[in-house]
Amino acid sequence: MAYSMVVLVKQTPDLNAVRVDRATGQPLLGDQLVMSSADAIAVEAALQLKEAHGGEITVVSAGPPSVKDVLTRALAMGADKGLLIPVENPNVLDTLAMAKIIADALSGTTFDLILAGQHADDYESGQVPAQVAELLGIAQVSWVTKIEANGGELSFERDTEDGKQGVIASTPLVVMTAESLNEPRYPSLKGIMAAKKKPIETASVSAPAASGAISWSAPMAQSRPSAGIIVQDKPAADAAAELVAWLKSNKLA
Amino acid sequence: MPNGVLIVAETHDGALRPASIELISAGLAAKAVAGGSLTAVVLGEGIVTAASDLASRGVDAVTVVDHTRLAQFTTDAYAFAVEQAIRAADPRLVIFTGTTAGRDLAPRLAARLQAPLAANVTAIGGDASEIIATRPVLGGRVQSDVRLGGDLAMLTIGPGAFPKAEATGSSASIETLDVDFSGAPERVRVTGVATVDAGGGASLANADVIVAGGRGLKEPDNFGLIEQLAAAMGGAVAASRAVVDAGWRPHHEQIGQTGKTVAPKLYIAVGISGAVQHNVGMQGSERIVAINRDPDAPIFKIASFGIVGDLFDVLPELTKQLKA
Repeated sequence: MAYSMVVLVKQTPDLNAVRVDRATGQPLLGDQLVMSSADAIAVEAALQLKEAHGGEITVVSAGPPSVKDVLTRALAMGADKGLLIPVENPNVLDTLAMAKIIADALSGTTFDLILAGQHADDYESGQVPAQVAELLGIAQVSWVTKIEANGGELSFERDTEDGKQGVIASTPLVVMTAESLNEPRYPSLKGIMAAKKKPIETASVSAPAASGAISWSAPMAQSRPSAGIIVQDKPAADAAAELVAWLKSNKLA
Repeated sequence: MPNGVLIVAETHDGALRPASIELISAGLAAKAVAGGSLTAVVLGEGIVTAASDLASRGVDAVTVVDHTRLAQFTTDAYAFAVEQAIRAADPRLVIFTGTTAGRDLAPRLAARLQAPLAANVTAIGGDASEIIATRPVLGGRVQSDVRLGGDLAMLTIGPGAFPKAEATGSSASIETLDVDFSGAPERVRVTGVATVDAGGGASLANADVIVAGGRGLKEPDNFGLIEQLAAAMGGAVAASRAVVDAGWRPHHEQIGQTGKTVAPKLYIAVGISGAVQHNVGMQGSERIVAINRDPDAPIFKIASFGIVGDLFDVLPELTKQLKA
């Protein structure tokens, strides 16, 4: 069966460009805004399902006008259309407020699967997809490392502390993709050209005000214990013994 | 009026998960700031031992939900049971483990009960009216204080952020909460669990311990030394860009600018000089151990513990002593 799919993508600072100002402890985010790496994996998963079974992929992003860039990138990778949910400053909203906006924007659409990265690169909460699932009243499968589709029933492997858990679930479903699920493709030149003709709709949702129940401080660098222990000019057995003792005293071994 | 702290303890094969024992310490820290009592709800099937273990480690009360529907983790059954435990305890704060299950469950329940939620918390402060939860963001390079007001708030804690709670010598009361699962949806069915052998298949994203190897290993076959150390520590194997580019290791193991960003409890860099392109991918790690022949290698500047020496001598010795 062909799948009607929604992929949630978040625009984040490029984590590789983030530096910390040593004097102030404040992060320097750089100018580069990118698609959160886990969400690129979700886009790739949707593309692979579409290639194998057919279907349609709508990519959805909530944020300021700049999120059009991540939607365009997903379209260039091969998604069919975009939905931009205008939210002027998404970073003042908690995940539940954001989930409500997304669930609201999706409430009129029909879909088999909503895919999203396990968590975003910047805040790493990993909460929005599960909260969207709860608000829409559908099931979720998280930490997914393998997807096998058999019509309306899909089997998954998911990461757990005990190993890979195998599960079966029916659509509609929210799927959160783990890092090891796939390697996202780069858009081809042809894809980039095609993306220019693909539609990006703007959703009309009324953004709820930030919840008064939760707020947060600007991020600051944590202090790292400065000078480390250095063992030098000692026989390997002695150096190893000192390390093992240190690991044990720090409850690491 | 909601009051006190509820922690949600997980079990595996009838025993408490290590993360659940750390969770008790988080619960005690939260109780110290939020007041009230500390109740632990423990879920699973056949968990009498886990419940008495939990009761012996400083909590005020234990609630047991023992049911076959909880033998394997599923979001639907666990959320159903925990929701009832929350309604019964009416706490100010609910704390979940930072396991794959805890991180799956907490947002679902926070949406259900309209509660503010902070993930991956490493310290808890404030008071009952405003709980302050500290959490790392941006790959662990910086941290943010999240203030949680309202009547009910929720947290998941970071792996290894809190110490394992010790036995106190006394025991809390243990009560059973009877949950009628006939109303619980069963939309996701578990078909089995394929266990990974210690170390070998551990995923980088979830690993507490990562052992990474670099060019200092000289040739691909020597990566066996890294694998043996990782196995001895129950950790995952990672690699520097140099050895991935050389084709010794797969790209999914690569740490750094063009690879993965990780922040485990312990990162052991072996034969890695510590170029900035590598370090951006791991400098959020709680503790860093470096083993390198070159005393001027930049990796030693960010290491909590460094051994200047020949890895071919140090690694076998280290693995042997850890196994002893």
